[in-house]
Amino acid sequence: MKKKKEIKVLLVDDEVDFVDTLAQRLKMRELMVATVYDGEQALSFIKKIEPDVIVLDLKMPGLHGMEVLREIKQLSPHIQVIILTGHGTEKDEEEAKRLGGFDFLRKPADIDLLVAKIKEAYWEKIERAMTAIAFAEEGELDTARKIIKKEE
Amino acid sequence: MKIRDKLLLGFGFYILLAAILGFFAYMELRTITTRLTLVEIAGDITNTILEVRRYEKNFLLYKDKDNLQELKNYLGVLKKYIDSIKSEVIKEIGINNYNMMKETISEYEQLFDAIVDNFRSQEKITTSMRAAGGKIERRLTGRELESFLDIRRDEKNLMLYKDQETYDTFIRTLNSANLDRYEEVRRYRILMTRLFELYRYEKDSIDKIRLKAREIQSFTENLSKKERTDIDAVSKRSMRLLLYALLAFIILGTIINMRLARGIATPIKRLEEITKKVAAGDFSERIEIKGKGEIASLGISFNQMGTRLRDAMESLELAIKRLHEKQAQLVEAEKLASLGRIAAGVAHEINNPLAIINEKAGLMQDILQMSADFQHKEKFSNLINGIIGSVNRCRTITHQLLGFARRIDVIVELMDLNEAVIEVKGFLENEILLKNIRVELNIGEDLPKIKSDKVLLEQVFLNIIKNAIDAVEEGGLIEVSTRIKDENTAQVSIKDNGPGIPRDKLKHIFEPFFTTKERGKGTGLGLFVSYVIMKKLGGFILAESEIGKGTTFILEIPIQPRF
Ligand SMILES: Nc1ncnc2c1ncn2[C@@H]1O[C@H](COP(=O)(O)OP(=O)(O)OP(=O)(O)O)[C@@H](O)[C@H]1O
Ligand SMILES: [Mg+2]
Repeated sequence: MKKKKEIKVLLVDDEVDFVDTLAQRLKMRELMVATVYDGEQALSFIKKIEPDVIVLDLKMPGLHGMEVLREIKQLSPHIQVIILTGHGTEKDEEEAKRLGGFDFLRKPADIDLLVAKIKEAYWEKIERAMTAIAFAEEGELDTARKIIKKEE
Repeated sequence: MKIRDKLLLGFGFYILLAAILGFFAYMELRTITTRLTLVEIAGDITNTILEVRRYEKNFLLYKDKDNLQELKNYLGVLKKYIDSIKSEVIKEIGINNYNMMKETISEYEQLFDAIVDNFRSQEKITTSMRAAGGKIERRLTGRELESFLDIRRDEKNLMLYKDQETYDTFIRTLNSANLDRYEEVRRYRILMTRLFELYRYEKDSIDKIRLKAREIQSFTENLSKKERTDIDAVSKRSMRLLLYALLAFIILGTIINMRLARGIATPIKRLEEITKKVAAGDFSERIEIKGKGEIASLGISFNQMGTRLRDAMESLELAIKRLHEKQAQLVEAEKLASLGRIAAGVAHEINNPLAIINEKAGLMQDILQMSADFQHKEKFSNLINGIIGSVNRCRTITHQLLGFARRIDVIVELMDLNEAVIEVKGFLENEILLKNIRVELNIGEDLPKIKSDKVLLEQVFLNIIKNAIDAVEEGGLIEVSTRIKDENTAQVSIKDNGPGIPRDKLKHIFEPFFTTKERGKGTGLGLFVSYVIMKKLGGFILAESEIGKGTTFILEIPIQPRF
C-alpha cells in the first residue's frame, strides 16, 4: 500500500443493498470504491475510468458476469477481476480462471479476506502493467500484450 | 409294483380262479358222463335180461327150438354188452362184481345147456316108457291089466305134475299091482324112476336158472340204482362246489382287488392332496416313496417337481426382494439427489441475503469501532459478533451443500485410485499429525487404472477419512485398503478403530444434516455428499460398524463408467 485510497475498486452487483454496504465498508478500509448494478453499466464505467480491481457478481439481470469478465479482459486485460457470487459452481470457477479472472469468492465472504484479495489483485495488476510497459519501452507493446496473454 | 403288473395280477387272479372253477366243473361233468354211460349200459343190460327171461319162460313152457334160439341170441347180446363195458366203467363197478356177473351169466348158460340135455333125455325116456307101457298092456289081461291101467293113469299124472307126491302114488300103485315078475314091468319101473330123477333134476335146474337170472337182474338193477344215486350225489356235490367256488371267487376277488385298488388309489389320493397343497402354495409336503412302481417314480418326480418349484419360488421371491431393494435404493438415490438439488438451490438463494446480513452487520461493527465509547458499545459489539458468527455458520452449511453441487457433471478420466488415496492422505497430514493417528495404506498392487472422476472420488475419500479422524481416539488407527473386487469393480475400504456407530444411528448417517457432532462442528453433509457422489459414479457406499471396535466404510467403484 503506497498511498491512501490509491486502489480503485469497482463493485458490480445487482443487489443494491449488498454493494452499497460493501462499498461503505471497503471505503472504510481505505479503498477507492465505485458501484454499478449491472454488466452494461460496468462496461461503460471502465471505458471512462479504469479501475484497478473489479469485484464482479455472476448472476445478474442483463449481461451475465462471465460475459462481462470476457469484455473487460478484452478492453483492458490488466484490470484484475475478482468474482464474488452466491451461485458459482466449480465449472464457473474454472471458466472464470480460464477467462483471466483473478480469484473466485463465494458470498457471504469475510471482509478481511476480500480486502486481502483486492490488494493481491492490485499488486498483480501493477506487476503486469509494469512488464507491459517494459516491453512497450522497447517499442513492442503489442508483443508485450501477447506475452501477457500467454502467461495468463 | 407297477400299475400294469398290479392290474395283470388282478386279472390273472380272476383267470386262474375261472380256470380252477372250469376244471372242477369239467371233472364233475366227466364223472357224471361216465356214470351216465354206466346207467345206460345198465339199462341196456336190464332190457336184454328181460328179453332173455321172457324167452326163458317161453322155452321152459314150450320147450321148443325157436324160443331156445331167441334165448341164446339174447344171451349172446347180453354177453356182448358185458364184454363191451369199458375198463374205467369196470373199475367203477368193481372188478370182482364184474367177474361175478360174467360167471353168473356163464353158469346160467351152462344150466340152460344142462336143462336142454335133460329135456332131450326126458323125451327119449318118455318115448321108451310109452312103448314099454303099450307092450305091457298088450300082454296083460284081466285083473292084472286093470291094475296096470291104474298105473298108467298115475303115470300120466306124474308126467303132468312131476312132483314127489305123484311119484310116491305111482310107486305105491305099481307095488300093490305086484306085477314085477314081468320083465317089462321091471324095465318100466326103472325107466320111470329114471324119468323122475330127470324131473327132479329139471326142477332143480329151473330153480337154479331162475335164481341166477334174478341174480343177474338184481345185479344190474343195483348197478343202475347205485349209479343213479352216485350221479345225484355227484351233481349235488358239483353244485355245492360251484357255489362255494363262486363265493370264494367273489370274496377273494373283492379282497384282492380292493388291496390292489388301494395300492394304486392310496398313493394317487395322497398325490392329489399334495397337488392341492402345492396349488395353494405350500411346497413343504413330500410324498413318502414306497416300492418302485410307476406310483413310486411318479412320487419321486413329483417330489423333485415340488423341490424345484420351491427353489424357483424362493429364487423368485429373492429376486423380487432384490428388485424391491434396488428400487428402494433407486428411489432413495433419486430422493437424495433431488434433495441435494433443492439444498443446493436453497443454498444459492440464501447466500445473497446472507451476504447482505453479513455486510450490514460488518458495517455496523466497522462504525462501532470508529465511534467513541458510549454506554452500550461493548454490548452492541457482542451482539454484532453474534450475528456475524451465525452468518458464518450458515455459510459453512451453504458452502458444504454447494461443495458437491459445485460441479454437476462428472468428468471421467483414466485415473489411479491408489494415487488418489495417497493424495488425500497428504491433504490430511496436519490433522493426522495433530491427533497422532496411524494411517495404514494397503494398496492393491494389481489394481488397474480406472475410468472415473478423480476430483469427486477424492472428495469422498476426504469426507470419510476426515470422519474417521474425528472418530478415533488420540493415537488411533485408520486402515485404507484398495483392491480389485471383480473384473468390473474396484473396492476401497476405510477402517477405523473408533467407538463405532450404534445401530439406530447407522441407518441415518447418509441422510443430509445428520450429525452427532457438537453444534457448529459438523454439518451432517459429508456422508450425504459422498453417497450422492458414489451414486453419480455408478458405484455405492456402505458402512459396517461394531460398537467398541470401529467402523468400516466400503466403497465400490466401477472400473468402466456405468452411468
Ligand atoms: N468413522 C466414523 N465413526 C463413527 N461415527 C461416524 C463415522 N463416520 C461418520 N460417523 C457418524 O456419522 C455422522 C454423519 O457424518 P457426516 O460426515 O455426514 O457428517 P459430520 O461428519 O457430522 O459433518 P461434516 O462431515 O458435514 O462436517 C457423524 O456425525 C458421526 O456421528
Ligand atoms: Mg463428516
